[in-house]
Amino acid sequence: MASENKSEILAQHEANSALNAATVAPVARHDKDLSADGIASPLDERIIAASSEALEAGHTHYVDVPGIAPLRAAIAEFLNNSSGASCEPGNIIVTAGVQESRFLTMQKIGENFESIAVPAVAHPGAQKALGVRARNVIPLPVDAERGYLPSIESISDVVAGGCRLLYLESPSRLSGAAYKTDEVAAIGQALRDAGASAIWDQGLAPWVDGDCPSLAALEDAPALFTTIGEAFPGMGLTSWHIGYIAAPEDQIPSMQSQKQIMAICTSTAAQYAALEASNLFAEARASKLAQLSQLRNRLVEMAADRSLDVISGDAKNIIALRAPAAGAANLRGAGFDFADGASFGAPAVIRLKVNAATADALHALS
Amino acid sequence: MSKKKAEGTNLLYQLMSEARSYDDVIVMGRGDPDFDTPPHIVAAAKEAMINHHADYSPPEGLPALREAIADRVKRVNNIDVDPATEVVVTNGGQEALFLMVLALLSPGDELIVPEPNYNTYADSLAFAGGVKVEVETYPEDDFRADPADVRAAISDKSRGLLLVSPNNPAASVISPPDMREMLDIAISNDLMIIADDIYDLFVYDDFEHLSPASLPGGLERTLTLNAFSKAYSMTGWRLGWIVGPADLMARVRELKAAISGGTSIISQHAGIAALTGPQDAVEMMADAYRRRRRLVLDGLDAMGIKYGLPQGGQFVFADIGFTGMDSGEVAQRILSDQHVLAYPGSAFSKDRKNYLRMTFLQPEDQLTEGLERMKVAMHNIMADRIS
Repeated sequence: MASENKSEILAQHEANSALNAATVAPVARHDKDLSADGIASPLDERIIAASSEALEAGHTHYVDVPGIAPLRAAIAEFLNNSSGASCEPGNIIVTAGVQESRFLTMQKIGENFESIAVPAVAHPGAQKALGVRARNVIPLPVDAERGYLPSIESISDVVAGGCRLLYLESPSRLSGAAYKTDEVAAIGQALRDAGASAIWDQGLAPWVDGDCPSLAALEDAPALFTTIGEAFPGMGLTSWHIGYIAAPEDQIPSMQSQKQIMAICTSTAAQYAALEASNLFAEARASKLAQLSQLRNRLVEMAADRSLDVISGDAKNIIALRAPAAGAANLRGAGFDFADGASFGAPAVIRLKVNAATADALHALS
Repeated sequence: MSKKKAEGTNLLYQLMSEARSYDDVIVMGRGDPDFDTPPHIVAAAKEAMINHHADYSPPEGLPALREAIADRVKRVNNIDVDPATEVVVTNGGQEALFLMVLALLSPGDELIVPEPNYNTYADSLAFAGGVKVEVETYPEDDFRADPADVRAAISDKSRGLLLVSPNNPAASVISPPDMREMLDIAISNDLMIIADDIYDLFVYDDFEHLSPASLPGGLERTLTLNAFSKAYSMTGWRLGWIVGPADLMARVRELKAAISGGTSIISQHAGIAALTGPQDAVEMMADAYRRRRRLVLDGLDAMGIKYGLPQGGQFVFADIGFTGMDSGEVAQRILSDQHVLAYPGSAFSKDRKNYLRMTFLQPEDQLTEGLERMKVAMHNIMADRIS
């Protein structure tokens, strides 16, 4: 017997375009998959040892909802050192990856606000997170010439219009473009003047050569702004799904409670691995970033030689290009997968991961 | 700590926080088995760290794990599912529960819920905007959910029926005849079913577990959850699953992608080893729980404390109404005075303020000591009441 209830449930879900936004794979699915923004990396033996020793020692049980204390401290220290934040371990929630960070922040912090402004071009995971439970989403216009980041003016306009919570990415998850120091200061001022808050996805910041200023570094950031990202990226832990939220103290309880409701805690194997990764991250990141920078510079030159339209970006792990449909078809025809800008809100843009195969992809594209 | 009186999940966390401050605490509250994860599962995780640490897994989980889950639910529960389209791997049973509620309930929809029940259902329903319609159960019936009461609770807003068997915290098992009747009610009233089978391997005496999705007409309207936490002592790995009909599972997959994106690759490989490897550790633990259950029930009998007979699960729901105190206060008193953590029934249901949930997830000597201390605490409580 057909179920009307079921038909109604399915119809509601199918009509939910936000929930049905594309899913971007965090790691490559095959050798020619350039769609991910995670860094492929071998796993250091010390990380394997630390995680497996923890498991063998019986750390196979529930742990504290916001994460094991030493990892929260390590993440706070990492954020303080890398982005100029002033976090305490109590500001940190360890998550089962950056998508859980998006979901928890957008849904739970969002409960305190009538609306949330989201860049018209952003990681599709942001749409998906908001699609789980209806929220009043205000599209934040972006500047295509500025790597699809929202301009300071558009941010000022949306807060002037009454929106008091913004989700922002810097670097952009599509182009890798990051706000400069003066822009971050101006954004902070605009938000502060309006009493607005922000969720700031800075997951790609470690792959910017030089400064990648964060809202978290502003003087009153601990009270207003929440940052999210992957915990110790590039250390071979992408598939382990481990991320963080660094939030004002008063925002922590509701997100912690929600984390308990939906997961209880984050995998202990991943947490102990991330804890060891925290000790190795600085050195490994410098080496990885140098390799990525060199490789990406060559790709940019190669693209210029082929008259390909590279979008200016700061994160060295990705390269985004404006590409007509025929170019994308060529890429697919050559067996490459890529992140489709349409999924992010920018049709005719493609994003490629920077690695040894990317040069071949540019050949195919041109 | 908040000065506001804690309730529900927050009350449990407040008690757990205090419990951690005592070196000699005996934990008879949280549903976390004392056994560590079996070594062959840990070894598989280590092997995965070496050889599969960067593998891609779709949001719904590794194909090999989904196949192992499909085999398991066929073998244990007699549920037929296609691993390609009818299985989603989750971050534990908790995420599974959250996803099932979100997949089936929209704001204003009613879910019929036999009470008492695991507190997270109420929290998940609140998030989804759903409405909990409670069906009372009673200790004198060993907390049996009466199909007639379920039928009486149906309204034009009813969307689904929650069937947790064995139940948490009451430990009742829905008998096969009752389960068949529950499914008939669901079919004749077009209700979806949320089935929580997480304790399906822990059923005692002659009681029998039956999954509604195994019955004719059941699978197409049922989402069934289970997890590795209880059966394999893998609470810290955060690994569970949902099985159900392909059309609904496609929605579950999108929700999973939206909420957490995926599940740790290492936990997934550990899960494959758990399901496909030797099962003797599961049997050993089940035997231990049988012995411990008897020990705890004997201890409660000695104290004159009544309970609904735990037909399954890993706990007993004990009636401390004779104290005349709210279970939150009693749990607090037992913890503060004697360093024994039991969960107050009020955390599971506002109408169960005269119950404690006590797990048997500690070694027998610890349980014996915990019961002795509880006896002292109860004596002190009653002495205070009299004076």
